Amino acid sequence: MSEKDNAHEVESSEPITRRKVLAWLTSMGILGSAIVSVFSNFVFIKPRATYGLPTRFSIGTPNDYPPGTRIALGKERVAIIREGEKMAAISITCTHLGCIVGVADTGFACPCHGSRFDQDGNVTGGPAPRPLPWYELSLAPNGELEVDKGKEITPGKWFTV
Amino acid sequence: MVHSMKKNNFLTTLKEMPMSIWNSVFRNNLPHTDLGRSKTSFTNFFLHIHPVKVHKHTLKPWFTMGLGLISLFLFIILTVTGVLLMFYYVPSTTQAYDRMLDLRGSVAFGVFLRNMHRWAAHGMVAAVFLHMCRVFFTGSYKKPREFNWVIGVFLFLLTLFSSFTGYLLPWDQLAFWAITVGTAIAGYAPVVGEQMRFLLLGDTTVGQEALLRFYVLHIAVLPIVMFLLVAVHFWRIRKDGGLSRPEDADVVETPEVTAPASVPAPAMAMAAASGSSGIVVLEKKHYGIQGLVRGPFTKVGNVPENTVFSYPNLLLAELFVFVLTVAGVIIVSAYFNAPLEEPVNVMHPPNPAKAPWYFLGLQEQVSYSAFWGGVGVPAIEVLILLLVPYFDRGVKGVGKWFAKERLLANTLFMVFVVVNIILIIIGTFFRGQNWEFVSPF
Repeated sequence: MSEKDNAHEVESSEPITRRKVLAWLTSMGILGSAIVSVFSNFVFIKPRATYGLPTRFSIGTPNDYPPGTRIALGKERVAIIREGEKMAAISITCTHLGCIVGVADTGFACPCHGSRFDQDGNVTGGPAPRPLPWYELSLAPNGELEVDKGKEITPGKWFTV
Repeated sequence: MVHSMKKNNFLTTLKEMPMSIWNSVFRNNLPHTDLGRSKTSFTNFFLHIHPVKVHKHTLKPWFTMGLGLISLFLFIILTVTGVLLMFYYVPSTTQAYDRMLDLRGSVAFGVFLRNMHRWAAHGMVAAVFLHMCRVFFTGSYKKPREFNWVIGVFLFLLTLFSSFTGYLLPWDQLAFWAITVGTAIAGYAPVVGEQMRFLLLGDTTVGQEALLRFYVLHIAVLPIVMFLLVAVHFWRIRKDGGLSRPEDADVVETPEVTAPASVPAPAMAMAAASGSSGIVVLEKKHYGIQGLVRGPFTKVGNVPENTVFSYPNLLLAELFVFVLTVAGVIIVSAYFNAPLEEPVNVMHPPNPAKAPWYFLGLQEQVSYSAFWGGVGVPAIEVLILLLVPYFDRGVKGVGKWFAKERLLANTLFMVFVVVNIILIIIGTFFRGQNWEFVSPF
């Protein structure tokens, strides 16, 4: 049997036998199924719904934030800043590796790898590759401020109360 | 008459029953002959990973320093203590930390087991890395052992990933911020980075989903993969002809020596031996079953007898390393408690937020550039490590520490090791608040 096979290989033109076609189809079928199963595992472990916070949330009325406020909202991971009548919502998730930056009057500082940002979130030192993003701030009909973390705005575009 | 004989047979059966059972379990008694010593490795499931005979060079304590064995034994300690800890652990953000405290208050040996698990994990990272250094500096990754080196590199990465997934589980500050940073690093990988991060966390931030996923990876997926790779790793040691050894280890000292004459009594390797070791593959030597028995008529070709029986030589060496490893872990666990930081505070990363020592080199790199320090450079390093045996194909200097013929390769690897150690030292001692440079003195 094996001698016969070898003889076939020696011949320059190998005839396509039914057996070879079937073997090829079987291999491809098994290989294809294997790839599909591996892929479907990834589909399975990728959650379709998450239990995290909504991207759009209310933070109270403007009166809760008197002028001069620089306060960090930990759960929402956003800093609310008010200078006079101008307000802004700046992310406090470090653009480097996701630590929460500390909020001070002089700016933001990351305790993990030493990134530093100025008051408006621009990088002044450390490994952070991008400035801290600003999120859209708006006044809802009920008089409450709303932050939408899904909408980044150009830094420096203040919201006037 | 017939009746009494039957009774007699039955009594005999009863009397012999303990021995019958014993003999059905253990196929031969403790050996006192060479044939018996050969049989131990053949007939015992737990010993058959050993070759019947092992080269004397393999048993030299300072050649392997037992580092592979230490890694294996730490892995076993980790499995046992890990399974025990699972009886009390709940992978829930609201319960995990309390369960850690419960180990202190209301679980017998709770703290001790957690200490053992933590210190053995640290030890395993160190042992696996040192084992890799040993294999490199002795040139043991060369043909035909190239692929076993590759498996070894994967085992090292799995060891790191296991400890990484493990330290999220206490759900303390270190856990939370280390994982926040670690998964953010994964996010920097090109193309698939963000997807990978999302799959790993099961969410956009570190939370309950991430804890559950890391738990499953830590207690099931990674150990199973590691177990399989360890099995292949050991199997290949045997198939690749045992541990590497220098050429002169097999040289016939005088041409007249045709018979094994007197084999010096096995020098008891009382410090260490290797993971599992080699059947001696000599070109002129062919083992049949009769080759197991030492005697003048079994020799084929003019080769010296440089092997000794695995039982008891290798076995005792292994036992010695095992006792030493377990003793070490127990002593460290008795004196030092595994750290447990404050419970997770999503608002305030500890300052500085430091990973365990073996990731501080990486964290130091990352503080210069997230992509290059966290993804680029490590990826290149791993790629080079994987390809080392296929670049460095010279056959000289195998089986010797710091062989002259391998000066270049050894120097390059030494630079790699030293640079990483320096990065770890900087990250550990020279970084303070906000990751600023501070002097420890």
